[in-house]
Amino acid sequence: MLKIILPTILLAPTMWYSKKSLMWVNTSIHSFIISLIVLLSLYHAEDSNLIFSPTFFSDPLSTPLLILTAWLLPLMIMASQNHLKKESLVRKKLYILMLISLQLFLIMTFSASELILFYILFEATLIPTLIIITRWGNQTERLNAGLYFLFYTLIGSLPLLVVLVYIQTSTGSLNFITSLYQSNILPLTWTNNMLWLACMMAFMVKMPLYGLHLWLPKAHVEAPIAGSMVLAAILLKLGGYGMMRITTLLHPITSTMSYPFILLSLWGMIMTSSVCLRQTDLKSLIAYSSVSHMALVIVAIMIQTPWSFMGATALMVAHGLTSSMLFCLANTNYERIHSRTMILARGLQSILPLMTTWWVLASLTNLALPPSINLIGELFIIVSTFSWSNVTIVLMGLNMLITALYSLYMLISTQRGKFTYHLININPTHTRENTLMMLHIFPLILLSINPKIILGQLY
Amino acid sequence: MNPLTSSAIYFTLFSGTLITLFSSHWLLIWVGLEMSLLAIIPILMSKPNPRSIEAASKYFLIQATASMILMMAAIINFYNTGQWSISNTINQLSSLMLTLALSMKMGLAPFHLWVPEVTQGIPLMSGLILLTWQKIAPISIMYQIAPSINYNLIMFMALMSILLGGWGGLNQTQLRKILAYSSIAHMGWMMAIISFNPSLSILNLLIYMMLTINMFMLLYYNKKTSTLALSNSWNKSPLLTSIILMVLMSLGGLPPLTGFFPKWMIIKELVSNNNIILPTLMAIMALLNLYFYMRLIYSTSLTLFPSSNNTKIKWLFENTKITPLISAIAIASTMSLPLTPILSTLY
Repeated sequence: MLKIILPTILLAPTMWYSKKSLMWVNTSIHSFIISLIVLLSLYHAEDSNLIFSPTFFSDPLSTPLLILTAWLLPLMIMASQNHLKKESLVRKKLYILMLISLQLFLIMTFSASELILFYILFEATLIPTLIIITRWGNQTERLNAGLYFLFYTLIGSLPLLVVLVYIQTSTGSLNFITSLYQSNILPLTWTNNMLWLACMMAFMVKMPLYGLHLWLPKAHVEAPIAGSMVLAAILLKLGGYGMMRITTLLHPITSTMSYPFILLSLWGMIMTSSVCLRQTDLKSLIAYSSVSHMALVIVAIMIQTPWSFMGATALMVAHGLTSSMLFCLANTNYERIHSRTMILARGLQSILPLMTTWWVLASLTNLALPPSINLIGELFIIVSTFSWSNVTIVLMGLNMLITALYSLYMLISTQRGKFTYHLININPTHTRENTLMMLHIFPLILLSINPKIILGQLY
Repeated sequence: MNPLTSSAIYFTLFSGTLITLFSSHWLLIWVGLEMSLLAIIPILMSKPNPRSIEAASKYFLIQATASMILMMAAIINFYNTGQWSISNTINQLSSLMLTLALSMKMGLAPFHLWVPEVTQGIPLMSGLILLTWQKIAPISIMYQIAPSINYNLIMFMALMSILLGGWGGLNQTQLRKILAYSSIAHMGWMMAIISFNPSLSILNLLIYMMLTINMFMLLYYNKKTSTLALSNSWNKSPLLTSIILMVLMSLGGLPPLTGFFPKWMIIKELVSNNNIILPTLMAIMALLNLYFYMRLIYSTSLTLFPSSNNTKIKWLFENTKITPLISAIAIASTMSLPLTPILSTLY
């Protein structure tokens, strides 16, 4: 793992000591090289995980997320070039330093094998994200957004710390690799119910669960583009990944305690999709669509069947790429008209047709068009929830319908129709933006050819 | 102040605390406490104005009362056990009086009301000595009598301190009062663990002292005493704003910074002793503390406050204040968490 962590740490001096003309180039190229190295960890021998050391390991669940994290850093750097143009060099370097430190913490989080190390790094990702949102966001609401983000996550995760320490003192070790060989059955007492709640709430807030999702529209909307990308693509998946890891320790309480959360998620998935239909703010629409997709992941993790875990993993990776791409597209709009309102930039197909291609591809993957991996994720989840309870097919079907509705609504209102008159002097699409979109959609399309790498450890 | 006088005063302060630390006779402990009390009064009044004289008199009254209660407790202990040497088995009445006296000295709730007012009235460096050095002697006495302290009482006082330290600081804009309330809350954390593992209190004290010394030095660098003044520091010393961000987050206990380490260890120690609801409550109440640190961070580092000049940055004068080792302590107070295995051998 050190061959990934050490280069990521050393990206910071590389960036800091570069000349002004080479800074963006150096950082982008070196982070691409690191993402190629991470791909090497994809090869898993039969029936075993890659255990690099007692501290770091990677198994088929964490590997796709690691690759997504590593892939996203160069994309974030490319996306930030425009809005940082006017800042002084030191501030640009500080911004990229925040992105690099966030990357470092995320890579270590996904490969940590000790649960308290996972917790420390999980919390550590909050600080660079908070700094990115609050320092480089664009509207005054960003202050509130940063506070909501920090405090929602912290209140959820402090009980998790206490419970992790409790599990460590009572079972002796929190190392995930060895805990797989223990067969501790937790008796069904009310204190163990509290323990389950304390473990899960941190990840529920992070996912976010429907009732606790208030921080997400604020944080996603107020963050600059790299902040939105990393929030939507990776930080939400930290919640899902943590839940999948920690439910192995909490058997069999999950089968009784999970009902309220399944309920909230099923209902919330429809609610947030419906809210998307009435949004005027483009980024807010994409943020609520993230909540809706993540609600599906929560349902999948809570019902705990092999198919649902495969669907959850696939959907996490697919949604990461799709949501990040949608935020990049919304950002291209924002950089041209400096507003997030959808109706102010209509009819872009007449003006920027290549960008329309990317909009179309992103919207189609967002509504889970076959054969994309979004569909594979959602399909697995729908099938497994149907076997869990037949009634959920109604809700899932309704959700797919409403998802299709708002994705097409977003596509049609930004691309089709007559363009607005004040759009006559927008810049044409930069090559950098086209590259960014292609680098998002290309893995998504390639993965639909071989989706078994993202199906997780139960394939 | 005349250098001879000030060196005599500082020497008395230093040796007073040391006498308390080194002695085993109760009267000598009392002597040490009184010496440091008498010596710190001129330090508190080093800029004589009505505010600091009022602060010094408040401090004197509270501490003298506490010392007298301590003396009474020592005499009752002698009356009951026939010996003057400090030991960890003292009878309940003495232990009760000692706990109350020492919590008055340290500024633990419900005897915490003097800390913000005294800290506000005195210059920054005197406030530093008040909040860091003056805590060493009472905590060392607590360390020695730790097994006899009434568990319910000290837990109640610790919890109240964390709550009141967090809650009281929410409405403050003056930096010295903010640091005073932060001191009350941290004292609460230290006293919460004293019945279980007193060495961990000392470790928490050391890390807290390092963080507070760092914070005071950063504030002293540009003589900032209010939030408004601090919010102009992006203009005068932009590097300092980043360091203030890191140190304040560390004081608030955010991983992966050093300030998380004492909280983590205290939670671990409490949970090992089957005490689970209490650390959860303490950890959540520490978030109140984090809220007002966040407010400071927002106005200092994460936003560019409107400033009084037209250019982006003011002229950078050479530093004439004494801020020794500011960079070394800043690194130690933010990046020591990976040293956890070594630090946990210290207790």
